[in-house]
Amino acid sequence: MTSWIRHSAARGILTSRYPDRAATDEELPEAGRTPTAHPEELARLSDGERSLCPTGAIREQAVDQGRCIRCERCFAFGLRPLGSPAMNVGTREELRESAGLADRRPTSVAPFGTSLHVFMIDVGSCHACNAEVLALGTPYYDLNRLGLFFTNSPRHADVLVVVGVPTPEMVEPLRRTYEAMPGPKAVLAVGACAIDRGIFADGPRTGSSVGEIVPVDLYVAGCPPPPVAILEGVLALAGRGATPEERR
Amino acid sequence: MIDPGSVVFLAAVAALFAAAPVAFVRRRAGYTLSLAGSLLVVTAATWALAVGPFTVVSWTGVLGSDVSLRLDALSAFFVLVAGIVWTATSFYSIGYDDEPSAGLAVSYALTLGSIAILITATDWLLFLAAWEAMTLAAYWMILEALGRPSRVYSAAFVFLAFGEASTLLVAVMIAATYSTTGTFAMTAITVAGPLASVIFVAAVVGFGLKMGVAPFHMSEWLPIAHSSAPSNASAVLSSTLTLAGVYGLFRVVTLLPTGPSWWGALLLVIGAVSALLGAIFASVSEHAKGLPAYSTIENNGLILVALGIALVARAQGLPTLATFALYAALFQAFAHAVTKAALFLFAGDVERTMRTYDLTRVRGGLKDADQLASGASVVAALSLAAAPPLAGFVSEWMILESLFQSYQFGQPTLEFIGLLSGAIVALAAGLVLVAMLKFIGFTALWKPTHSAGAVPARGLAAPIAALAGVVVALGVLAPWVLVFVTPTASQLLGTTAIAPIGGLLAIPTGWSIISTTPALSMFGILSPPAISIALAVGALPAIAYYAAGRRRALRRADAWSGGRAPPRTSETYTSFGYSTGMRIMLHSILGTREIRRSAGPLGTISEIRSPETYDVELEVLDVFKSFYDVLVRLVGGTAVALQRAIMPGRVGRYLAYILSMTLIVIVYVAIAFGPR
Amino acid sequence: MSPAPFDVARGSAFRPSDRTALAYVSRDGALALYNDYATHRSTLVHEPVLRGEDLEVRARWRGAAPGPRTVSVGGRVQGYGVFTFPYGPVAMGTAEAGAFDLVTYGERILELVPTVGYKDRGIEQAVVGRTVEDAALWVERRAGVFALAHVSAFLAAAEAAAGRSVPERELWRRALAQELQRIQAHLRLLARVADGASQNVGAAQVHALEEELLRAISRCFGHRWGFGALLPAHPSDRLDRNGRTELADRLGRISRGFNGLWETFLTSRTFIDRIQGTGTVPAAESVRWAAVGPTLRASSIAWDDRLRQPSVPYTDLFVPLATEANGDALARVLVRQEEIRASFLMLEQMLERWEGVGAGEVIPSPGIAPSRGIARVEAPNGDLVYDVTIADGRVASLQSRSPSEANWPVMALSLRGAVFTDFVFSLESFGSSFAETDG
Ligand code: SF4
Ligand code: SF4
Repeated sequence: MTSWIRHSAARGILTSRYPDRAATDEELPEAGRTPTAHPEELARLSDGERSLCPTGAIREQAVDQGRCIRCERCFAFGLRPLGSPAMNVGTREELRESAGLADRRPTSVAPFGTSLHVFMIDVGSCHACNAEVLALGTPYYDLNRLGLFFTNSPRHADVLVVVGVPTPEMVEPLRRTYEAMPGPKAVLAVGACAIDRGIFADGPRTGSSVGEIVPVDLYVAGCPPPPVAILEGVLALAGRGATPEERR
Repeated sequence: MIDPGSVVFLAAVAALFAAAPVAFVRRRAGYTLSLAGSLLVVTAATWALAVGPFTVVSWTGVLGSDVSLRLDALSAFFVLVAGIVWTATSFYSIGYDDEPSAGLAVSYALTLGSIAILITATDWLLFLAAWEAMTLAAYWMILEALGRPSRVYSAAFVFLAFGEASTLLVAVMIAATYSTTGTFAMTAITVAGPLASVIFVAAVVGFGLKMGVAPFHMSEWLPIAHSSAPSNASAVLSSTLTLAGVYGLFRVVTLLPTGPSWWGALLLVIGAVSALLGAIFASVSEHAKGLPAYSTIENNGLILVALGIALVARAQGLPTLATFALYAALFQAFAHAVTKAALFLFAGDVERTMRTYDLTRVRGGLKDADQLASGASVVAALSLAAAPPLAGFVSEWMILESLFQSYQFGQPTLEFIGLLSGAIVALAAGLVLVAMLKFIGFTALWKPTHSAGAVPARGLAAPIAALAGVVVALGVLAPWVLVFVTPTASQLLGTTAIAPIGGLLAIPTGWSIISTTPALSMFGILSPPAISIALAVGALPAIAYYAAGRRRALRRADAWSGGRAPPRTSETYTSFGYSTGMRIMLHSILGTREIRRSAGPLGTISEIRSPETYDVELEVLDVFKSFYDVLVRLVGGTAVALQRAIMPGRVGRYLAYILSMTLIVIVYVAIAFGPR
Repeated sequence: MSPAPFDVARGSAFRPSDRTALAYVSRDGALALYNDYATHRSTLVHEPVLRGEDLEVRARWRGAAPGPRTVSVGGRVQGYGVFTFPYGPVAMGTAEAGAFDLVTYGERILELVPTVGYKDRGIEQAVVGRTVEDAALWVERRAGVFALAHVSAFLAAAEAAAGRSVPERELWRRALAQELQRIQAHLRLLARVADGASQNVGAAQVHALEEELLRAISRCFGHRWGFGALLPAHPSDRLDRNGRTELADRLGRISRGFNGLWETFLTSRTFIDRIQGTGTVPAAESVRWAAVGPTLRASSIAWDDRLRQPSVPYTDLFVPLATEANGDALARVLVRQEEIRASFLMLEQMLERWEGVGAGEVIPSPGIAPSRGIARVEAPNGDLVYDVTIADGRVASLQSRSPSEANWPVMALSLRGAVFTDFVFSLESFGSSFAETDG
């Protein structure tokens, strides 16, 4: 027991200062950020270049962050990662327009207080998204300090975090889990898979997306999104979102 | 002048016995007559308690002494409790159409009649005759059960064996009494010293056998015998047959002089151990009647504990505590008999509806099939689990409070025994809660996952509900009940008792039960009526909420099952699983072991080298039973020889043998100890 | 050129012994791989004749039919009071979509039946007809936490099939990346076992180390889980001199932190008591059910693909082999922690010798038939097999046998008789991933 205390003391405070301060490079590596470019640059791309994107995320005017899996192929023709955790979070429409939460403060979607209980459901992920969500419970992110908690049953949950692309067998369980939650409730879809099926968009067993099964309130883009972006998503649902400026 | 009560009681006894031949012809008519008799019993007993004792009838007996039936305060109390139970069971029996034969109704009537005689007899010989009649009638009742499968026979023999052992000991006690008083009349025994102790111990063992308390519980005669009997029979056996044992012990205590304090200590130890063992076995029982039967052991143990405290207190010169503990014992006897009858009747309802007594198989159906009975059983079970403001709560509080007061004993050994018993009783109380939650959880409260197979019961609910009503009333009105039974307490104490009630704070005087006088500064106080009012007031907002129609805002969702479809019945906890933790935790007491037997032919699976298919069973043993098994084996050889000699397999000769043996013992003791 | 990692036999010419386990069999049954734990050799059998127990084993692996299936190891328990306790597919305890049926009479698990396949995304069918580049994006996302092992095995198999050689340096990169991810996966497992055994402080400390390692990986390869890191088109690679120094620094810190923590774990009686003797897999069962990886090594069988099926650069490195005798959860945990140290050691060796890596090219795995290649990689959970056919520069077929898939039967067996409270950490001690199983 005492040796655990010694270990903990020796390591000092590890916990991120996000969201009181902006995320560091360590917390938000490039791969967690959104590749984008000026609309004019995007418009100049050839169809051949666009079709290099494995998910068809590069559109005329914007990069669909919800579809992008951060494969970085487009870096060869000038797209670059930008942004802050807030850039990863938004409604489907906002992500499609590369807008994210960059310049708005979202209002809470349900009448939540500031403290939320979060239940995670995996409907067909590669496990990386699960790992990033659960990382919020580890000392580096420690969501409990923000009054946010993981719960072991949807019966106690305010927020359902969905990861993965729904396989046919997980459609019903997802619906049941949502049903099992008491109101008011909100759904946060985390990761490209959960937003619009990510790389699996044209797979044989991955025909439906989460939004078609349960109403999704907010999405967190990334493959997988870094923990700080997921944290930002949960905070946004609690009505505690902020613009990147305010996170500085 | 003939007391009006005596007429009523005579009519009652006549009706109870007349029910036997009538039942032989028309079953329902017999039960109806039993019902009438029971109601008359209640009336007469109430009369006796309220107005005063009276002699029902009296004549000169064969041995020259006066033989009479008399309702003094003690008899009246026990007859009242029995009468209330019988009223419910008789009413229930009229509707309980599941009986195999008319014999059951006949033996039922005879059992009731003999108990009524037994409790009101003023003479030990009549008492013994009624006692033996009761044992035989009950034996017959068990034999009549359920088409006589072989297990019932063995259960019935166990019952008879212990019944006769009990009779013999009671006979020994009577003989010892006769040797000092020179009469079979129930007069005060003035002798002190070893002979008094012989009488006391013989009474404790003899009547204890009937009560099923430790160390005689391990015979398990009580659970086994009762479990095989039909439900109405079980209720009578478990509630009132054991009550007869309690009565006998109380009667002897009123007659004996103040004995040494080890008498009480003995009762304390036996009671506490019984309570604990009963609670443990109840919590691992899977039988809808076995479980309440084990609980009877626990409750009778509690009665002994309270009586033990009273005796120690009397011996140590603590009249206040003795009085309080006696009230506790009386209240416990009352509460238990009524509550247990409700549970047994409900168990019969379970069997009628689900066609099984096996709790592991009783899953669902009941709650929807019989809401009234289910609700009533919840009340009864909660009372046994000591939930306020029910009767069981008040009695449990009074007993624990008496145990707390054992610090006054003034003798380290006695105080230690009091302390230890207190700890054991508290532990037992916790275990009983587990058992009771299991019982109602898997019968009355289970949310059915399927509705097939549940046959709605036909009108069996009313008597159960009535008993539950009595349980609630006893609890809520406990202070006035105590006042009402004061004549009984006075008779037990030999002086005029004052009911331990009072008032404190804003609660009106007479509304609270107080364990000692406030002057002693260490005292406990409980006001069941005030608690009831507080509970009712507390429930008001909830009631108002529902009344305001908010119920419609409820959204019902399926049970959460990890995202799968709602669980099928085979995917939900069994009652066996509920108490497996207990089986494993207490494996040293329960002798738990897992037995695996291969199922199906081995050849079919050995080919693929898979682990074999097997049946698994988690078996629970009673270590005391192992002791009995050894005893049975030892005696077995002798018994076979004896059987060849005097019992060539005819029940008639067997009974004759027992009765003659009884008489021989009485005569022998009378001569050996007789007044010189 | 590395030595051929396996012997080749045909049909009934191959005689398995009772120390032989089936390592892989292709879906059409034309090809099988056997490991012989007596000789430490592997044999590739064409047109194999499968024994009864091999068929049993194969029936527990992924078949042609998609979707959920139960992994039952035979035997059925019935008895008084016995019921089935369904767990999952939605449960925070597993944190993944997979389910278990616990057959019990309360408290104790009499039989455990996992249901896998809830997460079957059909990756193996989906990649057919795609370029290797595109297919690799899918393969990485089969089991993100083991992405680097999967993509290495896939690429090696594809290269073998195409007969394409790879620069030696590239193989070193793959090995470096894999060892990093192995440490991370093992740390994750230790943390989860510790968490399951209520060692919350210790678990948090190990999770913190894992996070530091994820950051180190992200620093080197531009992605916390290494997605894209080994794909040719991937632009970011910070393995230049500065990058390597930084990596060595970070690894040194993590390694020191781990050593200190581990000592404390080993002196924690409550921790050791709980995992000792739980979830035991006897060696014979490990062989019979073809268990792989740390699970196999924990029951005293010395098989590690890095030693027995070595490819560049493991042929040139000192590879410590970790085995334990008891086969229980403690043994599996001990094997994993020894492997963490071993991996740190190998990483050190690799970083030291990075400059001197030759400029030559090698074919990472031998082809086994025209345009068909098999590659085996010791993934964090054990032996991972990819079997790839290439036609016209595109994937014509992809088959695989993942370590998670191989270990379910022994896991189900080992938990018989365990009490409920042991379930979670026993489960975690195998580290099997539903995502990796389901594909
Ligand atoms: S990173 Fe990959 S998926 Fe994202 S936009 Fe660029 S090419 Fe498309
Ligand atoms: S979004 Fe990416 S990381 Fe998340 S589950 Fe899907 S493939 Fe895995």
